[in-house]
This record gives sequence, C-alpha cells and structure tokens, in this order.
Amino acid sequence: MAAYHVVLVHFPIALWLGAALLIFLRVVNDGPMGHAADRALPVFLILGVVFGAVAYTIGLMVWDWQALSSTPMGRNHMLTASWSLAYFALLAITRVIQGEALWHGTARFVMLILSGVGVALVGITGTLGGHLVGNYTEVGDVLRWLGWEIYSTYYVPNLTVALLIILGVVMAGLGVMAGRKTAA
Amino acid sequence: MRKSILPIASLLFLGGLAVSWATHGTSIVVNDPARNISIPDTLTVPLQVQAAYNDTTMFFRYRWPAANPGIFHDVLVYQDGKWERRGDGVPGSNPDGLHEDRVAMMLDDGSVPEFARYGGYITVGAGLAGLTDEAPEEVTKYLPATRNRLGAWDDMADEDVQARLREAGYFLDLWHWRGGRSNPMGYADDQNVGIERAGDDGRSAYGTNWNSDLSQPNVMFDKDTTGYAALRWDDIMAGGVTQDETYALIPAVSVPFDPTLGWQNGDVIPRRTLRMPEGSRADIAAPGKGRWVDGYWDVTLARALDTGAPQDDKILNDLGMYDVAFAIHRNATGGRWHYVSLPQRLGLGRDADLTAVKFNGARPQWADAWTDITLFYPGQVTWPLLNSAAHAGADQIAEGVPVRFRHSPEQLTHYGIEVEFNNQIRRQWLLTILAGVILIAGFGIALNQSISRSKGA
Repeated sequence: MAAYHVVLVHFPIALWLGAALLIFLRVVNDGPMGHAADRALPVFLILGVVFGAVAYTIGLMVWDWQALSSTPMGRNHMLTASWSLAYFALLAITRVIQGEALWHGTARFVMLILSGVGVALVGITGTLGGHLVGNYTEVGDVLRWLGWEIYSTYYVPNLTVALLIILGVVMAGLGVMAGRKTAA
Repeated sequence: MRKSILPIASLLFLGGLAVSWATHGTSIVVNDPARNISIPDTLTVPLQVQAAYNDTTMFFRYRWPAANPGIFHDVLVYQDGKWERRGDGVPGSNPDGLHEDRVAMMLDDGSVPEFARYGGYITVGAGLAGLTDEAPEEVTKYLPATRNRLGAWDDMADEDVQARLREAGYFLDLWHWRGGRSNPMGYADDQNVGIERAGDDGRSAYGTNWNSDLSQPNVMFDKDTTGYAALRWDDIMAGGVTQDETYALIPAVSVPFDPTLGWQNGDVIPRRTLRMPEGSRADIAAPGKGRWVDGYWDVTLARALDTGAPQDDKILNDLGMYDVAFAIHRNATGGRWHYVSLPQRLGLGRDADLTAVKFNGARPQWADAWTDITLFYPGQVTWPLLNSAAHAGADQIAEGVPVRFRHSPEQLTHYGIEVEFNNQIRRQWLLTILAGVILIAGFGIALNQSISRSKGA
C-alpha cells in the first residue's frame, strides 16, 4: 500500500496548492483572470478533497494501526494529514456554498490567510511523509527552528485540548448566532 | 457586532493554532523514578575515537565531554555511628553525584551478524534491569539466540546449545573501562555478552569493601601512606578530591579497617576495594590511566590482538574487518542511563567507519585524526519491541536492512524517549487530532454563517 499512497498523495497536494494559487489570484484580481480563477477553484478543491480522502484511507493501510500509532513520525504525518483534509474540506464546502460572496469584504482577506495556512499544513504533511520514506528535506530543520522537533509526536496537553474544543464550539455558536440574526 | 463575527472567529481560530503550537509536546514526558524513567537533559553526546595497532597489540583512544570526573563509584559514609552507602545506582543521575564514569565498547568479528546491522539494540532483551517492565530478578544484556523465544528472558536455550553457540563465536566482546573500579589499577574490565553480560574468566579489578556481619568496611586508607584513613564527604562534594589525590582503595594504600579509630561524621571510605585483575578478565590495560582534563575524558585502552582466549574475546587480525559499538556513562549514571552509538565498522589497516592505523613501536603516536561518533540516549527500545508489530520497521529488520539506513542518532533518541511514554502520548495525540478537527469545523460554521449573513443583508 505504501507505493499506492505515495502515488496518490501527489494529486491532493497538487490540487490544494493549485487551489491556494487560485485563491490568491482571485483575491488580488477582480478582472477576468480573477473570475476565471474563481470558476476553477471549486473543481480543484473538491477533487483535492476526494483524492485526499482516498490517499488518506490508503495511507491508513500502509502500516498496522499499532505501528502507525506508536511511531512519532507516523503519528505526526497522520495528524497533519487529518487536519489538512479537514481544512481543505472546509474550504471546498465554503466555496461551494458561498460562491462569489467569498470575495467581498472581510471574507476576501480571510480566504487569503486561510489559503496560506492550508499551504503550510499540506507542506508540513508532505515533508513528514517524505521523511517517513527516507527523503529528508531542510523543512524539518525549519520546523525545529520554529519550535517543533519533528521526531517527537505533536500533541497538546489536556488544557489546550479543552481550549481548542471550546474555541470550536464558541466559533460555531457565533456563526449560528449570526445566522439567526440574518433569518430574523 | 455582527460585522465583527468573522474577524473574531478568525482571531480565535488562529489564536487556537498559536496556543497549540506554543504548548505542544508538554505535560507527558516527565521523570518518574517509580517506573524507572529519567530522561537526561542532553540527548546526544559527541565521542571521538582513534584506533591503532602494531604486530601484537590493539589500541583504542576515546575522548568525550563530561562536566565532572566520575572517579568514585559507591562509597560508605560514617554518620551517627553507622556506615551508610551512598552513590548506588538509581534511575538517571545519582543525587549525590557519585557513580563512576565509563566507556564501553562491544566488538564482534561477524559471528553475530545482527550486531553489524543493529548494534547494541540486539542485546536489549525483554526484562532487562532498569526497564519499566524489568524482570523480578536482575537480567543483564543478552543475545537473542540464547533464549528459546523472543521476549522470554527466562526461557533459556539448553546448556548444550549455549555451549555450541559460544563455540561458534556467538557472543560479543565487551571492553568496559570504569572510572572508579578499574582505572586506578590501570585496567579496563574485560567482559562479554552472550547469555548475559559477564566477566571473562579470571578475576575482576574490584571487590566489595563491606563486612555484612560487622556492618563495617573491610579496609580503610593507610594513614601512614596517605595521611588519612578516610576521605571527607564535604571535600568530595566540593570537587576537592581529584585524580591527583589518593581516592581509591588500591592495595598499596589499604589496611584492615579499625573500628576504634574515632570516626567522625562525614568520613568516607570507598565501598570498592581494588586489586590486580587476573586471567582473561585482565586482558585490557588502560596505559597511562584515563585522565579527565578541562571537561573531557581521555582514555586509552590496549589489548593483545590475540589474547589466546577465543571463547572470551574476539581475536583481531591485521587487515581484518570488525563491528564495534560504543557507550559512555557520565553525570553519575549507571545501568541503562548511558549514551550509545550505532554500530560502526572497524578496519585494521582497511578503510572503514573507524580505521585502525598500523604502526611500529610499543605505543602509538596519536595524531589529531579523530573519528567523530554521535552517541545518543536510547530510551527503552528493546529487541522484542523492534521485531514486533508496534515497530513499523520490523519487516525491514526481517529483511536485514541496517538501522543506519533509516535512522539517525538524533531521531532514535527521540523515538526512544517516546517509547517510554507510548500509551500516554498515543492518547494525547488522538485527542489533539480530534480537537484540531473540531476547531476547524467550528471555524467553518462561523465562516459560512457570517458570509451567508452578509449575502442576506
């Protein structure tokens, strides 16, 4: 399964990085190029999520769960892959639901920031995957310099887990509140 | 307020990621002596090695940093009418800073092929003393084939099988220099690893200075020779007793213990007596004796190429290729709290990781041509674990892929530490994934609802 996973991950990586480029083009360009980029964007995002989900599933079959969940680099790769998939699924859903409205007001700049975070996430995921198959890059040193020893598992303490969950719930609540006020 | 929802949600989202980044990796990896867990502050240590040989003798020279010279092992301290033992082995560093420094080298001639690929990992069987799940009796390093089943420390192969394995050379030679128990005599401890870590035939350089019937030492310093019958605890703690003083109970300075001498609180007598080693166990000399200077140990060991004891030692030959792995103890540590190397190739007059240079004369003239080796704290990675489903590389081990092909010392030390906390880290990692997905989902709801509100407005 390892070889299939390596082949398959190229698709979501290319599609998601391409999507980030399209978001950038749309944010900085309201002309024909920007609109063309926006029309292509959902295709890139949705295909990226589909291929990403397939690659993720195949990736789970590369090693036994016991090995994957006991190996720091395996854990890290799965963590960033999970977050990347969830993150770009969010972007895909948002683009499909919101359409052109994404590019007005504050949302426009939020999308730009989100695409940057997405590129970083996918980049880290790919880097860790490369390490797992013996292809080392300097990106690992950059992450170390930023404070993450990539040969150690990325996990947060219970307080941070609770904070992240609370923040998620609060943000969802803010969104629901905004929706109700709109309906009213 | 409604217009602020998206910026607020964005800040909360990015803030959550920032807090995650700032707090990651905390709360689990902590020392726990009850579980034999103590993580050193420094995870890797540089070791420099040189090797040379003449027609009869093999020389190794080792150099490594140590903040203090560990020249004492355990000692007896007089306190309120009793002699108390201090400096014994504990998880991590002994709190009194006592426990001898050491350098050790395992050596093989190819008779233990897994050693060339995996080094000392093959000697870390299940149940070893110092592991969190140590056996109820003391189990030391052993080679896998000396047991009938992987992971069964007490399921020994038959004695006949053990004898044939030894005959076939299935053991590792162990050169073991001890800062307290062998160096003052000018020797290293010649040992081997087979069914266990054991001394070669003969007598070691040290004994125990304790009369359990009388609860007192057997010997003390000869006041007429040294000027004192005992050292002082405060002097030792202040670093005032150096290699230039008489600090070890070598025969020339030892006399029978006199309980009537008027002992004072804080008097210290080493708990080890030293003596001339004998037999095969005395094969390895430390010419010039190891010296600690300016924060570095500098130790030279010498042994006959052919000791005449092929059941105890690996016989070395001109132009031969061998496998070695190194380890040091420093900072008052013992047992498994050492720094180890990956296996290295040793070539006598041949290019290798460590090339021994042939010379003429009695002693090598060491040049400044060191081989630099990175030692690392190995954690609790056992050979059964490496061959189990919990190790993603178990299949590669079965195929004979060497450890160095996939792992570096820097990587292995972090992996080794995580093994010590595997279950806790796995749980926290899964919670972290979940929390991150919830954060993303929450932000997604806020993002979409706030944009929909804008559209609606």
